[in-house]
Amino acid sequence: MKCKLLFSVAFLLLTWLLWAPLNFAQGQITSPTTAEIFKQFSEQVVKIEVVENGSGAKASVGSGFFANERGQIVTNYHVVSKLIHSPDRYRIDVSAPSGQITQAAVLGFDVIYDLAVLRTDRSIKGFLSFETTPVAQGTRLYSLGHPQDLGLTIVEGTYNGLLQHSLYPKVHFTGSLNPGMSGGPTVTHAGKVVGINVATEGEQISFLVPAARAFSLLEKTAKIEKPSTANFLEEVGRQIQANQARYLDGMFSNTTPSVTLGPYSLPTKPADFFRCWADALRRKELPYVVISHDCSTDDYIFVSSEQSSGIVRFYHQLLSTEELNPARFFTLYASQVQAGNVALFGNEEEVTPFRCVTRNLQTQGGKLKGVLCARQYVKLPGLYDAVFRGATLGARNVGLVTTLSLSGVSFENIQALTRRYAEAIKWRR
Amino acid sequence: MAPLGYIEVLDSKGNVLERRPIDSFPIHIGRAYNNEVVIDDPYVCPAHVAIELDDRGSLIARDLNSVNGLRLGSGRKKRLPMLALNSGSQFQIGHTILRYRSFDHALAPTLLDRENGTSFFGSPHIAAFAGIMVFALLCLEGFLGSVERVTIAGIVSEPLVTFATLFLWAGLWTLAGRVILSRFYFFEHVTIASFAIVAFFAINAVAEWLEFLFPFIPALWVAGVFGAGVILATLVFGHLRFASMMRRRSRLWAAFSVSAALIGISFISDYANRSKFSNVMEFTGIVKPLDAAWVPTMSVDRFVENSQKLKSDLERLAQKAKPTQP
Repeated sequence: MKCKLLFSVAFLLLTWLLWAPLNFAQGQITSPTTAEIFKQFSEQVVKIEVVENGSGAKASVGSGFFANERGQIVTNYHVVSKLIHSPDRYRIDVSAPSGQITQAAVLGFDVIYDLAVLRTDRSIKGFLSFETTPVAQGTRLYSLGHPQDLGLTIVEGTYNGLLQHSLYPKVHFTGSLNPGMSGGPTVTHAGKVVGINVATEGEQISFLVPAARAFSLLEKTAKIEKPSTANFLEEVGRQIQANQARYLDGMFSNTTPSVTLGPYSLPTKPADFFRCWADALRRKELPYVVISHDCSTDDYIFVSSEQSSGIVRFYHQLLSTEELNPARFFTLYASQVQAGNVALFGNEEEVTPFRCVTRNLQTQGGKLKGVLCARQYVKLPGLYDAVFRGATLGARNVGLVTTLSLSGVSFENIQALTRRYAEAIKWRR
Repeated sequence: MAPLGYIEVLDSKGNVLERRPIDSFPIHIGRAYNNEVVIDDPYVCPAHVAIELDDRGSLIARDLNSVNGLRLGSGRKKRLPMLALNSGSQFQIGHTILRYRSFDHALAPTLLDRENGTSFFGSPHIAAFAGIMVFALLCLEGFLGSVERVTIAGIVSEPLVTFATLFLWAGLWTLAGRVILSRFYFFEHVTIASFAIVAFFAINAVAEWLEFLFPFIPALWVAGVFGAGVILATLVFGHLRFASMMRRRSRLWAAFSVSAALIGISFISDYANRSKFSNVMEFTGIVKPLDAAWVPTMSVDRFVENSQKLKSDLERLAQKAKPTQP
């Protein structure tokens, strides 16, 4: 009897062992859950095309979803940014999975978090609501959208929490987002929106705007019936202006940590959202050494395809020599001080050319050659890009070139940060 | 005083084509071969004019009823039957200009020959010294301008092409001088070009140091350009002295015109580039190995306050760049 029971158990175990891998494999290929999710929620996901009025051709493609009973659509700011910059030249066409196309208007946007809310006049079959309870790391998520304009697609992935060192909170989604899926929803198996597809950084590393930001933008735009397109650019400028205080206040104050490079003590990693790197150029055939220390925010604000903003970067380069005489060392040093910087973004319509002012400065620590270069945003009043470069004076075989670069900030902030940064360069006695 | 002397036939520029001594009076001038002075000019009559003494013993030229007459000086003047002649008087018959000069005509002082070795610029020693100085400066610039390990051979060989260009330049001017003045002035041209290069080096160094110490002086670069212009003008002026027959005043004009034209071109191209849009920021900060105590400075606060001017400059640029509202 005992033996029979044991046999039965062994048989069952064997059967399970034989079947389990097959079952597992079947789950991989056709999970009924994913198919169901797609079937259940794809009606609420739309394709968004920004169309150039003159040619009738699409200028950009993205995704979006119905987010409330009024039929408002949530998408990314960057999907519709062309229209926000030139409302007269573009229109927005929204295509439902059924193929029906209707026009949409922009009700509001959040340029900092890359969100926009649109409105159409058509009746809707349903909408997606937002996840309000915390999601555990590892939770399976499903992202919907139109990758490369190939038709509505569902992508599986996992929730990996909020980014640790980000200036703007973002959900780390481990799944393959592709261009065109921007603005689409990423949902739980219950169809609750956890985040809005926004960016990807290579294989399986993707980012979502947290649902809470979209929710608050929807609340803000709830009462707007007919937005005034004329004020769009002013609003972009206003939002960028308002955002500065959040990350610039107190940067490079006395509490900023410092790093020691040669005889200098210099600011480093002023906040969690900065990443710092260091390297050195030491080669036998070169009669000098260059040590560099580079800190930068990872995040940037997408303003238009021609312009990004909100990036703070600063880097120190320590040059020293045991071998070169002062005149030759200063040839090297001067070339490093004068090395031209090229701004990555900006054309004539967006920004003015740079203008610079050069002076010899007395800081509390010592003497600096200081150069401040700035340019103004043409369409967004009150915003500037600026670079301050300082070079220490007085030494004969060692020199420090340090550069602070700000983008999309007010002139008052340029002045305040230049002042604090210059004073944060200290000489060790 | 016996008014004996010479009758000279001149070309339109005043150069003497032919000279005929007057040893007795009267002298007959005309196309016919029985004249003392035969003029080969179809507008001159066979017997055109006589040079003789009048009743008071003064020298005159008398028209011998010629077809085209006798005129004072040159050009289309009124014809005269008779003309009093002093030493140096010019008159015209037909298309020919004649001049009378007495034997005791006052002469200009003798010119000093430049080839007598008294010229500073012509001294081969000075030329060699200037050339060596240029070579040394080029080597020094190459050495100080490199930040990698260098060898003596490398330092000396690098400026050779530039140095050879100096001699080519001097050679071309010498050639021009040979054609125009029929003289070789090679050492002079080497010396002049070398001193100009040394002066350019000096002005460049001074400008850099001034800009390092006083970056707040706005028009420093204008002074630099002006200095370079003066050197350039001096260079042209010097070369022309040994390569042309131009007078001092004309050489000055030529030198300053060339210099002004080059500076003008550089200003125009500078201006054209300035209005071009660019994403590049140019850090013009010059640094020099000088003890910090010697460097005049301003406080960071004042620097930041002064940057307000930068803001208004940008405001102006932004206004210009704004698309005009319909």
